[in-house]
Amino acid sequence: MDKINLLIVDDSISILSSLSKILELSGYEVDIAHNGSEALRKLQNKTFDLVICDIEMPGITGLDFLKKVRDNYGDSIDVILMTGYLDQDYFIKAIRLGASDFIQKPIDANNIIRAIESTIQRKKEHNNVREFYRHLDKTDLTIIINPAHFSKYSISKVFAQSLQSNFKLPPDLLNEILICIDEMVYNAFIHGTLKLKPSERFLSRQGFQDLLTDKLTDPQIANRRIRFSFVIDAVNGMLEMEVEDDGDGFEHELWLKGLEDNPGREVLEYGRGISLLFHLSDSMKFSKQGRCLRIKKDISGYLTDAIFPS
Amino acid sequence: MNIGLSFKGDVAIMKIDGIINSENAHLFQERLSEVYNSDAKTLELDLFECRNISSTGIGKLLLFYKDFIGRNGEIEVVRSSNSVYELFSMLKLNQLFTVNLG
Repeated sequence: MDKINLLIVDDSISILSSLSKILELSGYEVDIAHNGSEALRKLQNKTFDLVICDIEMPGITGLDFLKKVRDNYGDSIDVILMTGYLDQDYFIKAIRLGASDFIQKPIDANNIIRAIESTIQRKKEHNNVREFYRHLDKTDLTIIINPAHFSKYSISKVFAQSLQSNFKLPPDLLNEILICIDEMVYNAFIHGTLKLKPSERFLSRQGFQDLLTDKLTDPQIANRRIRFSFVIDAVNGMLEMEVEDDGDGFEHELWLKGLEDNPGREVLEYGRGISLLFHLSDSMKFSKQGRCLRIKKDISGYLTDAIFPS
Repeated sequence: MNIGLSFKGDVAIMKIDGIINSENAHLFQERLSEVYNSDAKTLELDLFECRNISSTGIGKLLLFYKDFIGRNGEIEVVRSSNSVYELFSMLKLNQLFTVNLG
């Protein structure tokens, strides 16, 4: 079994040094950050099992840091907070933000190891679902979206929560996947389903909502559906995403050829979404007169411990 | 996604962290409108903690760019994350304004 990865965040060099020594001797793999900004950067580039963070730091405080972790990574990263005093207001805020545990300073080695072990144990119980996914050859999720309800939910958030709960995706890969999902489904909605003109896409939020309400009174539009499928093919190390709408399609062959010749062309006018998908995927294929788009992404390099941790 | 906006003289400083996607791009548009309606002549964008931007977000930025340079404004991305820098280079936005990497 791999070592548990910990990130310690504190502005005190002596605490970072002593704590990392204690935890390394206890068998953990330890990385350090001197402030919240550095810690957030490290989280972007590496997956940690647990973060231990001081509350009182200059710049981004422990609570600010915890909030950013929850905003950006949901509940996938556990955070234990360290503090010299347990002020009631801080405590309540931290609980609301989802702190996993608290450690009182000065730090007692046995206390912190107990807190880490119990947090990791809770995480493992939760990760039983990941174990299930780990042994599947293929995971296939297909959804059919009714345009009348599209704007009520955040597709990105739904997928972010599902992917963070069931797989241990590296942050960069997760971001790219979420942007792909957003591009594919949103384009199917505004182009394939609503057939919006360019000027209609830049309305204010309220203007857009009013237009949407109006468009959806047309039965031809209201009866359209968006089908989206998300497949992790563990055998072939491939991620496949497909979206299909009930619109009129477009001249995809011509467009794709132009895109291959010059990926950044006409960026000021249109086609940014397709350019972006082209950039983020390893293969892109249109069918059904352009109504259906399938992209593939090679994830073979992530298919061991990164996505399916032991 | 969080957007911080402050003004120093005629410079607007906008700092974004998180992902700009189709669901929150309107918030980005609203902050850009604040800049457009201010006396700012330069917009400094700090995208170091911005992990990605969807085409809808890029569209909002380009729409602002067209209007802003129309009144002699300038945009500079003072810092960007690797993914945003790569994206801006791919879409050739670095030909429209200066884009600095992290």
